[in-house]
Amino acid sequence: MFGVFDNLLYGLGVALTPEHLTIAFVGLILGTAIGVLPGLGGTNGVALLLPLTFHLSPTSAIILLSSVYWGALFGGAITSILFNIPGEPWSVATTFDGHPLAQQGKPGVALTAAFTSSFIGAAVAILLFTFFAPPLAEWALKFGPPENFAVLMLAFATFAGLGGGDPAKTIFMTLLGLLLSTVGFDIVSGAPRMNFGLVQLQSGVNFIVVAIGLFGLGEIFLTVEEGLRIKGVRGRIGFRDLWETWKLFPRYWATIIRGTILGFWVGVLPGTGATPASFMSYGLAKQFSKYPGKFGKGEVEGVVAPETAAHAAGIGSLLPMITLGIPGSPTAAVMLAGFFIWGLNPGALLFQTHREFVWGLIGSMYVANVLGVLIVLTLVPLFASINRIPFGILAPLIVILSSIGAYATNNQVLDLWIMLGSGVMGYLFKKLKYPLAPLVVALVLGDMTEQALRQSLIMGQGSIAIFVTRPITLTFILAAVALFLLPLFRSVRRRPRLPAPAPAG
Amino acid sequence: MHRAETVFAALLLVGAVLLIPQTLKLPVAWTPTGPGSGFFPLWLVVGVVFQMALILVRSLRAPVPPGRAAPFIERESVRPLLIVFLPMVAVISMLRYLGIYIGGGLYLAGYMIFVGRQRWVTVLLVSILLPVALFFIFERWFLLPMPKGTLLEYLLYGR
Repeated sequence: MFGVFDNLLYGLGVALTPEHLTIAFVGLILGTAIGVLPGLGGTNGVALLLPLTFHLSPTSAIILLSSVYWGALFGGAITSILFNIPGEPWSVATTFDGHPLAQQGKPGVALTAAFTSSFIGAAVAILLFTFFAPPLAEWALKFGPPENFAVLMLAFATFAGLGGGDPAKTIFMTLLGLLLSTVGFDIVSGAPRMNFGLVQLQSGVNFIVVAIGLFGLGEIFLTVEEGLRIKGVRGRIGFRDLWETWKLFPRYWATIIRGTILGFWVGVLPGTGATPASFMSYGLAKQFSKYPGKFGKGEVEGVVAPETAAHAAGIGSLLPMITLGIPGSPTAAVMLAGFFIWGLNPGALLFQTHREFVWGLIGSMYVANVLGVLIVLTLVPLFASINRIPFGILAPLIVILSSIGAYATNNQVLDLWIMLGSGVMGYLFKKLKYPLAPLVVALVLGDMTEQALRQSLIMGQGSIAIFVTRPITLTFILAAVALFLLPLFRSVRRRPRLPAPAPAG
Repeated sequence: MHRAETVFAALLLVGAVLLIPQTLKLPVAWTPTGPGSGFFPLWLVVGVVFQMALILVRSLRAPVPPGRAAPFIERESVRPLLIVFLPMVAVISMLRYLGIYIGGGLYLAGYMIFVGRQRWVTVLLVSILLPVALFFIFERWFLLPMPKGTLLEYLLYGR
């Protein structure tokens, strides 16, 4: 067995090969562009690029997709600050103080603060990741079907308990996602089922197609409806901005530590991700501040808090993905769908069977984070100018790219109709405040859930007692039940509910 | 908005109830190899029906906000939405003939003319060059065959 440090050095070696460095660079540039563009987010950006990874090695593929994710995390901040348009849901909180700063003639300071705090948040989170992932994976290796099922229940329960949306709708969306995953054929007997007599549905409802529809087209429909206007501040980062901003940073050490740990933890919990983490971190920073009145008017700390948390959460959301096979965010869910396509079985075994893949990914987190902050610090004007592409060209282009991405996964036209239908549903769901993330995650995890449940029941000879007689299983099940009941408990106490954002990211 | 919520919940409920017979066609009980293939879908559908009923009842019982209700969608937003959506339906329906490149080019051009109000030169350049670029990226570089449609296949290969 290798120590963590040996593995890490090995992973850095993998990530630093010229091929992988180039891939990370391309991924970061693409990701930042995706983050800057309204209507294209990390989730559908990664989904659109997934078909392009079919011909890459799994290691190159995961480095490309994760770099896109990091890039999108950086890119979201650029439009938030310069244009007051959050390029991504997790950068909504960055607009609160970032845009006022830009309007006061300090866009460089706001951007530097955002990128630097993203970098610090991510760097600390990557360290946590490196040391948490191997023991967690080791532990998870002992899991049998009942434990796996219990962990999956816990994952779904966190959506309902901590997702912040309406629990009834969250549970509905989870069930709907699981139900969609049963279309096609039975995973145990191989018999066709739930396909409404359509042969093309035999292979199942493709997750990527649904994600592209829900997140890509749905978002386009919403943006078109709202009518998009872009009026912004020009941004450029000079050396004085760097110095001026970095001078302030030691002052915010408490906010940075809080944001990072909170972000990492929230990111690790399945079903949450970067968006709620950024809001929570902003709220806490305001509460702990000596001058809460300055927040919302251009306080640098108000940029630092959400950005550290969002990046830490982005990193954290990959932890359960790589160790347990459970995505911590919708974007991680898309990556997880890629695992199957690349011929990998997600979960703890990866650490033993695919060392290059796992440690290459971890190594590339270090590399891509350093590379990413350098790219965004130098190329801000270039990325900001992307927003001068008229929406009249951008919208149809995204539609075409979505169609190509959806078609490429299975080479069948039916998938385009499924994508279009998902787009309409995504639009309606979003307008009526049905959370999308649980559906997407449940659709990816559906087969795994059903298999774990059925195998457990076989082990228990048809009795559900198997879920309460094994200590690890029981602990997870109890935690899941508690999370499911949490919203109920909250509404009984009738505390004024904060308008929590829908989980995404 | 409130009415839209209720109607949407009712539609979803009806859809879920209609799914029950689909699952009952499958073996839902215990079989020699454990739970049958319909076991998981059936319980999911039951759960969906229950949740939707809950959401519907709650929505029906919720007090209607006073004053003129905010509409689900503003009247002036309907047109731009349809301009995005309907041509998509048209292009996908005719995909067999147009293919994704020509169809996509037409879609781009149409959108740029009617919504983007771009100059003719821009429209022509973008809607020809972009599909050509995509063609080379996907067909040549990444070797992902896209539906080219009878028209493009005729132009390329003469059949």
